[in-house]
Amino acid sequence: MIEAQTLAEAAITEIKDAPDLGALERIRLDYLGRGSGRISALLESIGNLPKEQRPGAGKAANEAKRAVESALEVRAAELERGRLADLAEVEAVDVTFPAPPLPVGRIHVLTQVQRELEEILAGIGFAVEVGPEVETDWYNFEALNLPKGHASRDVQDTFFMSSDEDVVLRTHTSPVQIRAMERLQHPPIYVIVPGRVYRRDASDPSHTPTFMQLEGLAVDEGLTVGDLKGTLTYMCKSLFGEERRIRMRPHNFSYTEPSFEFDCSCGICGGAGCRSCGGDGWLEIGGCGMVHPAVLRNGGIDPERYSGYAWGFGIERMAALKYNVPDIRYFYENDLRFLETF
Amino acid sequence: MRVSYEWLTELAGVEEMTPEHAAELLTMVGFTVDAVDRIDLSQILIGRVISQQPHPKSRNPLWVHEVDLGENLGRRQIIAGAPNAVPGSLVPVALPGVTVPNGKQVRDAVIAGLAGQGMLCSREELLLGEDAEPAIMLLDEGEPGRPLSSVIPPDAIFEVEVTPNRPDCLGHLGLARELAAASGKALRHDFMPRFQGDAEPLATDLLKVRIDDPDLCRRYIAAVVTDVTIAPSPRWLQRRLRAAGVRPINNVVDITQYVMLEYGQPLHAFDAARVGGDEIVVRRAREGEELACLDGVTRRLTPPMLVIADHDRPLALAGVIGGQESAVSDSTRNLVLEAATFDGVNIRATSRALRVRTEASSRFEKTLSPELALAGARRAAGLLEEIAHGSVHRGWPDLYPRPQEPVRVRMRPEKVDALLGVHVPLEEAETILRHLDFGVRVDPADGSWDVLPPVFRLDVGIPEDVVEEIGRIFGYDRVPATLPGRRREATGVYRPPADAQVDPARRAFTAAGFYEAVTPALVSGRRQERLGLADRALRLYNPVSEEADTLRTSLLPSLLQVLELNRNRGRGEAAVFETARTFLARQGDGDNPLPEEPWQLTAVGPGGASASEGRDAFQRLKSVVERALHDLGAPPAEYRRARPALFHPGRSAEVLSGGRKTGHFGELHPGLVREFDLPGRLVACELDLDVLLSARVQRSATELPRFPAVDRDLNVVVDAAAEAEMLLGTVREVGGPLLERLTAFDEYRGAQVPEGMKSVTLALTFRSPERTLTDSEVDGVMAEIRSALEQRHAARFRS
Repeated sequence: MIEAQTLAEAAITEIKDAPDLGALERIRLDYLGRGSGRISALLESIGNLPKEQRPGAGKAANEAKRAVESALEVRAAELERGRLADLAEVEAVDVTFPAPPLPVGRIHVLTQVQRELEEILAGIGFAVEVGPEVETDWYNFEALNLPKGHASRDVQDTFFMSSDEDVVLRTHTSPVQIRAMERLQHPPIYVIVPGRVYRRDASDPSHTPTFMQLEGLAVDEGLTVGDLKGTLTYMCKSLFGEERRIRMRPHNFSYTEPSFEFDCSCGICGGAGCRSCGGDGWLEIGGCGMVHPAVLRNGGIDPERYSGYAWGFGIERMAALKYNVPDIRYFYENDLRFLETF
Repeated sequence: MRVSYEWLTELAGVEEMTPEHAAELLTMVGFTVDAVDRIDLSQILIGRVISQQPHPKSRNPLWVHEVDLGENLGRRQIIAGAPNAVPGSLVPVALPGVTVPNGKQVRDAVIAGLAGQGMLCSREELLLGEDAEPAIMLLDEGEPGRPLSSVIPPDAIFEVEVTPNRPDCLGHLGLARELAAASGKALRHDFMPRFQGDAEPLATDLLKVRIDDPDLCRRYIAAVVTDVTIAPSPRWLQRRLRAAGVRPINNVVDITQYVMLEYGQPLHAFDAARVGGDEIVVRRAREGEELACLDGVTRRLTPPMLVIADHDRPLALAGVIGGQESAVSDSTRNLVLEAATFDGVNIRATSRALRVRTEASSRFEKTLSPELALAGARRAAGLLEEIAHGSVHRGWPDLYPRPQEPVRVRMRPEKVDALLGVHVPLEEAETILRHLDFGVRVDPADGSWDVLPPVFRLDVGIPEDVVEEIGRIFGYDRVPATLPGRRREATGVYRPPADAQVDPARRAFTAAGFYEAVTPALVSGRRQERLGLADRALRLYNPVSEEADTLRTSLLPSLLQVLELNRNRGRGEAAVFETARTFLARQGDGDNPLPEEPWQLTAVGPGGASASEGRDAFQRLKSVVERALHDLGAPPAEYRRARPALFHPGRSAEVLSGGRKTGHFGELHPGLVREFDLPGRLVACELDLDVLLSARVQRSATELPRFPAVDRDLNVVVDAAAEAEMLLGTVREVGGPLLERLTAFDEYRGAQVPEGMKSVTLALTFRSPERTLTDSEVDGVMAEIRSALEQRHAARFRS
């Protein structure tokens, strides 16, 4: 069967010269394509041969087919090896070319800092409580041992919803102390309350009429000033860095006794005093103290059996210290150039 | 309060302590010292003015002085701007290179053509007080060339923050007691002076006193002092007043001021000749009464303001300000010295109503101890005798209708350690209390304490107050930092904070290019009304400004303002969102006085310029909303055409999740956008977070399919008004359980389809959980779908 062998030899020559996989495929179709391929046609025509020639012709045609198939396979592998070897040049991209922008959005830095504080305090067992922003006089003032006529209730500081002054915009998150004690009823109570508060302050680089406060409250048996100090120390070190220290200065709030203001050592001078901390080495953070027995009673807790501590501060203040924000009003202006920093 | 270091440390008996150390100690016991201004006078020299000539060239009033600075330094030419340094005066001189106490640095300077070789100093520059007008400080004594510190002792000025519960420390004596205790000492001064006066006749025979309103005046003491000599105060007294920020006037007025700055008890001296009928009446002002006050202002008084009156007219506004007519003058010979205790709330109301706040009113506001009045009266009367050479008559009228009750706090000493979390030795605790003038009686039976606070401390009433006293002097830096924790019942479960539960939605929006904004909740009520958002809005009773007089009912206007601001700053394509409470007046008249506070997530982003860009933006926002809902764990969104307020009537929808209304979204109404300085279209959504967070679904995994899927596309031409959801509904119904997934894409209107029609491509995926589907099986279902679409929606098909 000369024809089969000749066809196979011709095909193999072509295959060896095929420049790429496309040419190889065209050669395959030319010889082995179903129906139309030359070797395929030969194989099909065998049925028409006289019976005694069929085995010989069939054998030769099948051998030719196998030879071509194996040549195709070898050449394909060769070409593939070559293509992979040339990948570096053929498919090179400019790796320095600037990337097209993905959509950019950011979670607000106040939310980020709030979340960080929530996580830090969750780590020592404080759960988040919330309360309404429009509050009754009882929760915002009276229950916190702030009787009518107290200086902090000055009409200058509080937004009232009505002339009888019975409903107010909460001036602090402390009303949630009472709400939390009422809701949870049985100590141990370890809660934090992040949220918006309202004061009739003029806007300036360190004040806005609306701001975010974070309040903490612990009520349990045997809580001490030391526990309060430990909580504040843990919180500030976690947020600002382990080298920071805490200072508690005695102060006066009607809902705590004893009361303090607490400061964190300056991160720039480490407490020695520098320009950024105003020279005394300490950054004022917020207020705190041991919950006043009258406040515990107003929350339905027996002050003979339990003691408590509480603290509060502005989240803006914390965020400003953490990220060197020069003006508190930036947080509420929402200039994207500011927001995208974080 | 402005405090003189020199005065303070002398009273406390700690003169050797540095100003910085004293400030640190005061701060750590609860009196934060905000500033320490050291007055270093060792670099300032004493000079004698030899000659004074007007500056020949300067147009400003300037004088050229020749000043003698003693043998070593000789004479200098110094130019100054005040006329009072006449030849012969002794003046403070700062030479070039010296920094004067107020921070000013002195340099060589040529002023209008003449060289100046130093500076003559004013009181203000030396932090020694103020003068009425620009003037050089004139010295009474001193040797030219010697430092000023040779005649004026060094001092420092503290700015001390005194909390409102401690009015007893609005005087140097109170702070000195704290400073002494903080350094482990008792104060060397007794609180109550012994002086009572011994001149005849009895003061009660010279003056009648009556209190008509004992509610507003708890105590009234009037000392009568005759034959005083009005003169300038001695130098030491003037110096201390100036250091504390008070300008000396004459010895009598200065003594009342001095004792107020020492004890914290305001005092007032009346010219006895002006007290008509020799009678003092403490009463409420009558409607329409007027008083010419010491500050030159005549004020109209109304009840319940309290006045000090004689038999027919007011002499002074009690506890706030004196009257001009009854004031002490150079011709005064006899005095009535008032030491009283007025009601704090009433004084504050008067002071606010008349807008006059004085050293006296700011002290009375804080409720003073009536015992302090007697101490102040005795101290001042003693000084009036000593310094103004007056005769103090014995037997003062002292009306004390409501005497102060003695306070006794009974407590267990163990309470100290239990509350502080540190061991305070009993002896140390007792010593601290005694240094603060507290009495401590130990019950021999059970060791418990009876603690007796001093009479001037009205803020101590419960054991916690006593512990605070011990704690702050013991030192909170000695308290170890601990964390609480004990074995407790395992109750309760962990719940992520509500705000943190919204974080998946925050991430969906930020991933799509939205920035989170935080904006104020107080907005302009008028604007809210103009935008049609005033329904159920809550207005503040006492707003600060019209721009922020109402609680917002929607976050949209706030966010549009953020877009406006960013556009004006070159970021026109900003997209923002916010999560916050909105406020709606409660409907119905239930017992709850508080409003509803729906919790919203609102987002706004650019919507292109054209109608078709707007439609694309609408679709993109829809994708973000769907992702947000999914990530929050809410049931998938469904949509209903709707016309929410503020939205485009043809391009907005209500969003439902699990069948509950959870908000709406779409293009904003062009009328709303026009209210803001924003070009183009905007798309927005408003989602109700309370609903979304309460409607979360339990996710559940299913077995993965084992047989292949068959995908088919179907291009349908239907009426342009047909909603996709109708077509998809039909396909789902006919496709049955084999139809695994179905969506629509490529909505097209235009030349390729007939007028009034649109083409939509449906993408279908079929799969059986039990076998490999054959082509003919799928073809059969497709044919049924086509015919249903034809019949129900008059659909035609393109290849």
